[in-house]
Formats: sequence, structure tokens, C-alpha cells
Amino acid sequence: VTVAATAPARPRHTARWIAISVGVVVVLFVGLLATRKSADTLHADSPLLGKQAPATSGVNFSGPSDQTVSLSSFSGKYVLVNFFASWCVPCQQEQPELKAFSDRHTIAGDASVLGVVYDDKADAVRQFLNDHGGGWPVIDSSSSKVDWGVRGVPESFLVDPQGYVLYHIVGGVKDSDLETLLQQAKQAQNRQ
Amino acid sequence: VTIKRWAPWVVLAIVLVGALAIGSQHKGKETLDAHVRRIAAQIKCPTCQGESAADSNAASSQAIRDEIRTRLQQGQSDSEIRGFLVSRFGRDILLKPPASGVSGLVWALPVVAFVAAVAGLVVCFRRWRRMQEAW
Repeated sequence: VTVAATAPARPRHTARWIAISVGVVVVLFVGLLATRKSADTLHADSPLLGKQAPATSGVNFSGPSDQTVSLSSFSGKYVLVNFFASWCVPCQQEQPELKAFSDRHTIAGDASVLGVVYDDKADAVRQFLNDHGGGWPVIDSSSSKVDWGVRGVPESFLVDPQGYVLYHIVGGVKDSDLETLLQQAKQAQNRQ
Repeated sequence: VTIKRWAPWVVLAIVLVGALAIGSQHKGKETLDAHVRRIAAQIKCPTCQGESAADSNAASSQAIRDEIRTRLQQGQSDSEIRGFLVSRFGRDILLKPPASGVSGLVWALPVVAFVAAVAGLVVCFRRWRRMQEAW
């Protein structure tokens, strides 16, 4: 009893443990934020990445009036599926970039662009294509915006020759960035 | 006297349990529109802030409602339709996070925090009582 009464009380260090716990949480939080993909990263997440592209087809705006175009008809080529609308300013800005990309790869025969209209009127789309150029198939497919999980325009997806979704791009595209992604995709395919 | 005192509470309990039992079992015939709206109310509008696909007039929400309607007409269940939308937009399209996987933390953490807080208070009160007794 005498020993117990005279033994020094063990220090509790409560403040130290609280400080360590808070420190660990802060470090984890900062680590999480630091390792997240930057918002301005060219390609964005999508549940479709690595999966078979959704079946997509519709009447072609830029061809004969009753001509139906489907994504599967591009099999064997890389396809940039581009969701756009005539009322969308970034879509207007990216159109020359898409045209440069499309023109170069139409000649090479290795990649195509497929435009998909997002919430727009047929006349406005035709006027947009007249004003801003194009030359690739453009379709209106009401179910596509859900099938592809599109949240706004412009959004684009690069699909490989086997029909798998490789990249998801949110916002306007640049010809040089598209070229980089295409070359990355080709190199990855060559390594397989 | 005891029976008189408890009788209203017993009656109240019986009425409450009966009402809950009837309310939980009664399923009126739900129209297709109501069913579409019920599922759409659990889905975020992809292009707007703080609105469900049921309440929004955005084209994307209309497309989601059309998709839900088509899939209900095909005989798909609510969870199959929610699963399809998650497979296209990602988990954050759901207004209510799922109670499994990492998202389950959203539900579990408040409970864990509450239990930890109560346990902390119990420990503190005991310690204070011991200190008072020692004085």
C-alpha cells in the first residue's frame, strides 16, 4: 500500500496524442489532395474508360438526309466522339482544331471524328457546320448523352480501333493535344 | 389505478404500431410516371447544381427520365436502372451515396463519431467523479 501511495503518477500526454492524431489526419488529407488528378488535366475520369463504347448511331447531318451513321461503321480506326452544340462557345472555338485533326487523319486514314449533337435544333446545327466547318459525320442521338454519361458540352471520347474507350476529354480540344493522345494510344497498342 | 394510468399509453402504442404496420404494407398501384419520378428523384441532374433529375428541366435530366422510362417499360428493376446510370456517369450521379464500399463511410463515420463522443464523455465523467471522491 505504501509503495502504491508513493509511486509517481504516470504522465498522460493527452495533448500530445491529440496533436499527433490531428497531424496524421492533416497529412493524410494533404496527401489525398496532392495525389489527385489536377482539374486542368487533359483527360478526365469516366466509368466508360477501358470499356466497350456504347452503341451509337443516328441520321447524318452532314451527309444525304436519310443516311444513318453508326460508331461501329468506323471499326478499325481510332474515332474521336465529340459531343457539341451550336450554342456552346467552347464548341465553336474547338471546331477549327477538330477540323485540323480530322483533315490530317482523313488523309492518313487512321482516325476519324464523329460529332454527336447535344440538345440542339437541326437547323442551328446545319448553320453551325456551315459557319465553322466540319466535314466529318455528325449525328443526333437523343439517348447518347446518357449512354456516354455526358454532363455538358463540349466533351469528347477517343475510341480505339477495337471499339474500346481510351480517353475522356472534358472541355474544348486542341489539335496538338489530340495528336498527343492519339500517339500515346498507338504506342500503347504497339506495346501489346 | 395502475391500469387506468397505463391504458392511454397502451392504446396509443397499439394505434401507432397498427398504423405503421398498415402504412408499411400498403402499396397502391404506382403509375409509370410516378415510378419514373421516384427513381429520377434519387439521381443528380448532371448539368445543374443541387437539383435532382426529377426536378430539373435541363435536357440532360429529361434524357435521364426518358432512359428510366424506357428501362422500366423493359421490365428492369430500380437497382438495375440505378446501376446503369452509375456505370455511365459514375457513383456521384446518385444523390444518396450507397451504404457499401468506401461510400459506406459517409453513413458509418457519423455513427462512429457519436459512439466515440459518448465513450469519451463517459470516461471523462468517471474520471471527474473519481477526482471529486479523492478530494
